[in-house]
Amino acid sequence: MATIYLVDVDQTPVYTHYFDISYIPSTVFFFNGQHMKVDYGSPDHTKFVGSFKTKQDFIDLIEVIYRGAMRGKLIVQSPIDPKNIPKYDLLYQDI
Amino acid sequence: MAPPERCSVCRQTFFCGRGHVYSRKHQRQLKVALERLLPQVEAARKALRAAQVERYVPDHERCCWCLCCGCEVRKHLSHGNLTVLHGGLLEHLASPEHKKATNRFWWENKGEFQMKEKFLISPQDYARFKKSMVKSLDSYEEKEDEVIKEMAAQIREVEHSRQEMVRSVLEPQTVPDPEEGSSAPGSWKGTNSQVASTSQQPSYVDLPPAPELDWMETGQPLTFIGHQDTPGIGNIHSGATPPWMVQDEDCSSGNQQIGPSYEEFLKESKLTNSEMVMGSLSLPTQIKLLIVEEKQKLKKLPPDRVGANFDHNSSTSAGWLPSFGRVWNNGRRWQSRHQFKTEAAARNKQQLHKKKS
Repeated sequence: MATIYLVDVDQTPVYTHYFDISYIPSTVFFFNGQHMKVDYGSPDHTKFVGSFKTKQDFIDLIEVIYRGAMRGKLIVQSPIDPKNIPKYDLLYQDI
Repeated sequence: MAPPERCSVCRQTFFCGRGHVYSRKHQRQLKVALERLLPQVEAARKALRAAQVERYVPDHERCCWCLCCGCEVRKHLSHGNLTVLHGGLLEHLASPEHKKATNRFWWENKGEFQMKEKFLISPQDYARFKKSMVKSLDSYEEKEDEVIKEMAAQIREVEHSRQEMVRSVLEPQTVPDPEEGSSAPGSWKGTNSQVASTSQQPSYVDLPPAPELDWMETGQPLTFIGHQDTPGIGNIHSGATPPWMVQDEDCSSGNQQIGPSYEEFLKESKLTNSEMVMGSLSLPTQIKLLIVEEKQKLKKLPPDRVGANFDHNSSTSAGWLPSFGRVWNNGRRWQSRHQFKTEAAARNKQQLHKKKS
């Protein structure tokens, strides 16, 4: 069963800086203390930036991460339709 | 005996002259060899009426073995980046050299007469094939031209839509620049980093059509909280150590004990009183007590046992083996028994003498 924690970015500056969280909401996934990366089709594989379109998307993503982690994977492919994944700018200082 | 002759079908040398070709084995081998070649010839024959033209692929360089001529033949006919399927084989089958070789092969190996026609292509059939080949080539070229035109039209459309988008973005310059913290969904390529309010956002013609993006635009948009870049401190992208793996300064010495303390361990485990007493002593005292216990156990054992007088502290070579009970003796069993009896008698005498004195 997945445990979901809602974290305030102002209360955790160390982790906000480590995970380079510039846009909120961002979702970071862990399994047994191991950070899990997911290829959403976006430039950043370390977290899911934005909100999920449907609950089922979220559930499917968790299942894929769980299955990959149980097989020893550290990065998995997202099952969410690319058109349901929020798009964002990854500019650095407007370059 | 007839002179030796090698049969290429059976791949053997025979000494019975021309009689070999009439044997059952040879006929069977011939049938198998022809049946192997027949499917390829049939496939080529089907292409006679309707020649197929395809784009060149290295697989089209394949050859097949012509049994009658005893040589390798290119299956397909390639030129530039086009290939006519089965063209090479048909050309060979229609050639007069192949016809001569087939006749000679059939005469030498005494094959079935009806089968021979299947491996020959008449010049008229080949002429028909050439006509259909020309037609196929023309139609292939027409198709290729159409495909190229379609691709060009697509590229033109995309370019046009891109230019329209750029124009529409540049036109409304009245919107002010964004403040920190306002929502900013945009395209990944960063062509447009100017932020407008939700209702004034330009339509993305390149991306999926607008209705599919509505849930992002009208729902909860992203909030920008500032770039998380501090020079000197790494993050996940630069491969820095995760915060949960960083050693705290207080416990970095390595003396930190993990697991329960000794008192907690005693509480959890079910130990006896003596063990609890032992547990309360220091380590050297514990070792001394253990040695004393072992010596007491040893005293209880019989003094006549094998190895009772063995000095365990003496150094022994690598080849040392124990010797007791006359195990290394050579000879008959009665000799060992006799030796044991004499020794036992001598021992008893000694004991008697001691008792008397």
